[in-house]
Amino acid sequence: MIRSLVLVCVVAAGLLSWVYLFTKDRIEEDTRQKVRANLVELLGDTTLTFKPVIPDTLWEFYRDTTKLGIIFRSYGKGYGGPIPVLVALSMDTTILAIRPATPAEGLKETPGLGTKVTEPDFTNQFKNKKPSQIKLKKDGGEIDAITGATISSRGVVEAVQVGIAKYLKYLR
Amino acid sequence: MKKYIWDGIFKNNPVLVLMIGLCPTVAVSTTVQNALGMGVAVLFVLTMSNLTISLLRPMVPESIRIPIFIIVISTFVTITDYVMHAYAPAIHKNLGIFVPLIVVNCIILGRAEAFASKHTPLPAILDGIGSGIGFTLAILGMAIIRELLGSGKLAGHIVLGTKFAATPILFFSLPPGAFLAIAVLIALTRLRK
Repeated sequence: MIRSLVLVCVVAAGLLSWVYLFTKDRIEEDTRQKVRANLVELLGDTTLTFKPVIPDTLWEFYRDTTKLGIIFRSYGKGYGGPIPVLVALSMDTTILAIRPATPAEGLKETPGLGTKVTEPDFTNQFKNKKPSQIKLKKDGGEIDAITGATISSRGVVEAVQVGIAKYLKYLR
Repeated sequence: MKKYIWDGIFKNNPVLVLMIGLCPTVAVSTTVQNALGMGVAVLFVLTMSNLTISLLRPMVPESIRIPIFIIVISTFVTITDYVMHAYAPAIHKNLGIFVPLIVVNCIILGRAEAFASKHTPLPAILDGIGSGIGFTLAILGMAIIRELLGSGKLAGHIVLGTKFAATPILFFSLPPGAFLAIAVLIALTRLRK
């Protein structure tokens, strides 16, 4: 009984290691490309270079050798779970762009309501604002919440604020 | 021989007749592409695990058959997951957690327990192919209904006119629409009998 169980496990492990080694490079390459595609899309500029500082969380971006700012990923409390948001911050702490994760990337907000935080109508409001302006209008800031999705909107605002507080020290 | 394949598609269709594997059928049938990707993944895992389990029959004691089935199934699922990620990253991204979850898909364990562990390799393969095609057709039928009505598209192409695509019946893209669609499909299957 033990012999057959061990045998099956050993064969399965061997097979899996072989497939893993065979596909590893392509999978890593795909992951790298997806991250880079996200960063490029965020800033709409293909000429920048990105340097990871904290894996999968914080990047510095450069034009040639001049550091222009940082991009970080942070989380705010949404209606259905944490909302991951990518935020690009320039050297003078201006928000250049934000990009909440799409449902395929793990956004768990209500389809058709909370998921509207990914649409340009909402995200463009953050562009070229200072951290102090990033609050919902009903909380005394300058961001229009999405009708029917105040919690999701506030979650995105929270993600931006939490991230800035946490990663401001990397803007040097 | 042919009977094994046809049984898997019609008489013993895993989703519409045996009512197993409903979770991925409801969850991943939002677009035709996702449904096809899921169908092919299940078809591959089901055929390979049926074959392996049938071959292992003589050396698997009754008392530990379930752990061995699970190891075999999860091995093939992980292989599918890696290969899909490496060679079809777009589909892999859309299917997300549902590829690893094929491990606990009742269709596969069900066919292993009810069929592959009691038959020789050839019928086991044919049963895997048949049931796999049966699952693919069922999830594809769901996806056609849901993508057509829920977004006015088929496989990403607008087919019901741009006007409909602008204001589709969003309900069908959401989980409740999936339950309605599967109910209609099951009712139609029953009607044929």
